[in-house]
Amino acid sequence: MSTLKVGLIGAGGISRVHADAWRALGAQGYVTSLAGAEEIAEEYGFELVTDVDALIELVDIVDIVTPSSTHADFALRAIRRGRDVICEKPLAATAEAATEVTQAAADAGVRLFPAHVVRYMDEYAQIKAGIEAGRIGTLAVQRFSRAGSAPQTPWFFSERAGGGVIRDLMIHDIDQAVWFAGPVASVYAVQNPPTVDDRVPAPVTAHVVLTHRNGVISHLHASWVAPGMPFRTSVEAAGSEGRLRYDSAEDNALRTDAVVPEGDTDYLPPMSPEESPYYAEIADFVAALRDGREARVSPADGIQAVAVAEAAYASIAGGAPVDLPTTVSHSPVDAEEAAR
Amino acid sequence: MNAPAPLRIAVLSFAHTHALSYVHALKQMPGVELIAADPDGSTAPDDAPRGAALAAELGVAYVETYDEAFAWKPDAVVIAAENSRHRGLVERAAAAGVHVLCEKPLATTVEDAIAMREACERAGVILMVAYPVRFSPVVRDAIAELRSGRLGRILGVTGINNGKLPQDRAWFTDPALAGGGALVDHVVHCADLLDELLGERAQSVRAVSNSILHAQQELAVETGGLVTIQYPSGVVATIDCSWSWPLSSATWGGVTLQVVAERGTVTVSPFAKGVAGHDAHGETWNPVGADLDALLLEEFVRALREKRQPQPDAGVGIRTVEIVKAAQASAARGGDVVVL
Repeated sequence: MSTLKVGLIGAGGISRVHADAWRALGAQGYVTSLAGAEEIAEEYGFELVTDVDALIELVDIVDIVTPSSTHADFALRAIRRGRDVICEKPLAATAEAATEVTQAAADAGVRLFPAHVVRYMDEYAQIKAGIEAGRIGTLAVQRFSRAGSAPQTPWFFSERAGGGVIRDLMIHDIDQAVWFAGPVASVYAVQNPPTVDDRVPAPVTAHVVLTHRNGVISHLHASWVAPGMPFRTSVEAAGSEGRLRYDSAEDNALRTDAVVPEGDTDYLPPMSPEESPYYAEIADFVAALRDGREARVSPADGIQAVAVAEAAYASIAGGAPVDLPTTVSHSPVDAEEAAR
Repeated sequence: MNAPAPLRIAVLSFAHTHALSYVHALKQMPGVELIAADPDGSTAPDDAPRGAALAAELGVAYVETYDEAFAWKPDAVVIAAENSRHRGLVERAAAAGVHVLCEKPLATTVEDAIAMREACERAGVILMVAYPVRFSPVVRDAIAELRSGRLGRILGVTGINNGKLPQDRAWFTDPALAGGGALVDHVVHCADLLDELLGERAQSVRAVSNSILHAQQELAVETGGLVTIQYPSGVVATIDCSWSWPLSSATWGGVTLQVVAERGTVTVSPFAKGVAGHDAHGETWNPVGADLDALLLEEFVRALREKRQPQPDAGVGIRTVEIVKAAQASAARGGDVVVL
């Protein structure tokens, strides 16, 4: 196989972890962005490209790592030029737009990979495998929690721009809840403080309760706390025969207790590629593309996650649970996508 | 200082297993004379030791009937009967001018709970509700930390009261005697802690439940539930009340409160400290820490001697029953939001 040419659109926080993975995979990189592309190009030896359409022309795979509101537009532009697309979550701002992108990819005969990286974190993948293997019997109740520092970039705080703590942060656990327990029948959500005039407050906390079509109930909590908060996630799946759980706060795989000079911040060692879920994710996408097989996450999964997030915002606005239409996860492109 | 006059306390019913630890704690206290009566023990539909045999095992004087217990002229009674039988015994105690410590939940309906408070107020006797978890030193520390304001305003709380199915006493899953299943048994502890932490009455309650856990036992009550509560201050809280620990677990379960504030989170889990290990039969767990039932009883006895109403009082008893009833109504109506 000749060297894979990959174009990154966007040079924000998530771009570097994708770039790390591409470099580890030996891809030839291109990058374009309204800001910060020069630094990425220099740091990773990528070629700097002046605009999105020029970048699309140069590459085999387009990797969209821009603010969420722009995902669908860039994806459609790349798809129209016959490029395979990796798109950071959420796939689009609305389920309708996500479905449009998915349909466009199917029509154009290109692959579309929504980047839900938590599927590539072994602690979650192990729970999924345990559920699938019947280790905990019939699944009944799930809990997910995700909290850390509030982001600093303004678009995260506009729901119209694809931001918000549910659509940006909790969407990871929405995808996990659906991965573990299947499609969602109804969604109830609350948030404190509320979003007023499209200004998402920070700090902010949100709770979402999902009722899955098979009767499983899931609680999801996500919070953006003040800057500097350590990042924590936890998950528990309980079934008729047992339970499986993981809590990052109890993860002692590596811990340093040390006397350090005052003012020293937490030292985070660089993640080795073998340990990086982003590497595993992108490697899976590349292999799926090469072998013409399904990836661990499909466009339909990306649509479903966006649909649940959208329903959560509708629930908050209406102060009541919101039922999801049964068509969402039965997108016609599903089978077509899988067959290719 | 003179030795305090002896206090006569009668334990009414061994239906709730907490009666055992209450007897144990009261026996240790100087100046307390103790008897017990468990007239319904012989007709309980399970094999658990009850009545005179259990009293002998516990080393407490026993009388056959409640009539004899009241004829003994107790200063106070500790009521550990089945939930729906609390009201009759509380009213009887009030009529006899006897102070009351009543097992949680105070009652199975809000009307009953209010009637019990009124009966005790009219009679001028103490009515305390047995919520031992708020006496935990770590819970007190957590509440003090959050009240200090150091972490900013509280935004949201996840309460987790998971455990094994309480199957050694059959009435826990009898809707007539218990008033419901997991939504009754395991919502109230977290609801009490929220009441103490937030100092406000819930504004709305929304719940979903299922009966997937222990489905093979064909119970008439729910075994899993998620209850979302909104408070007037904006705080959002969700309680997972599921009986989701398998019967093979090394301990009964636990209570955890995860509090998200503006500048930090506090997680308190008063039963989480202990010595873990393995023996020939598998995993072992020996809890370490204060005896919460003993701390509760000490406060009750102190209040009796000081002739004052202790906390938790009938007010919080009523407010927590309100949350349970609203949760049951919400779950029965498919997850509609119930405004209090």
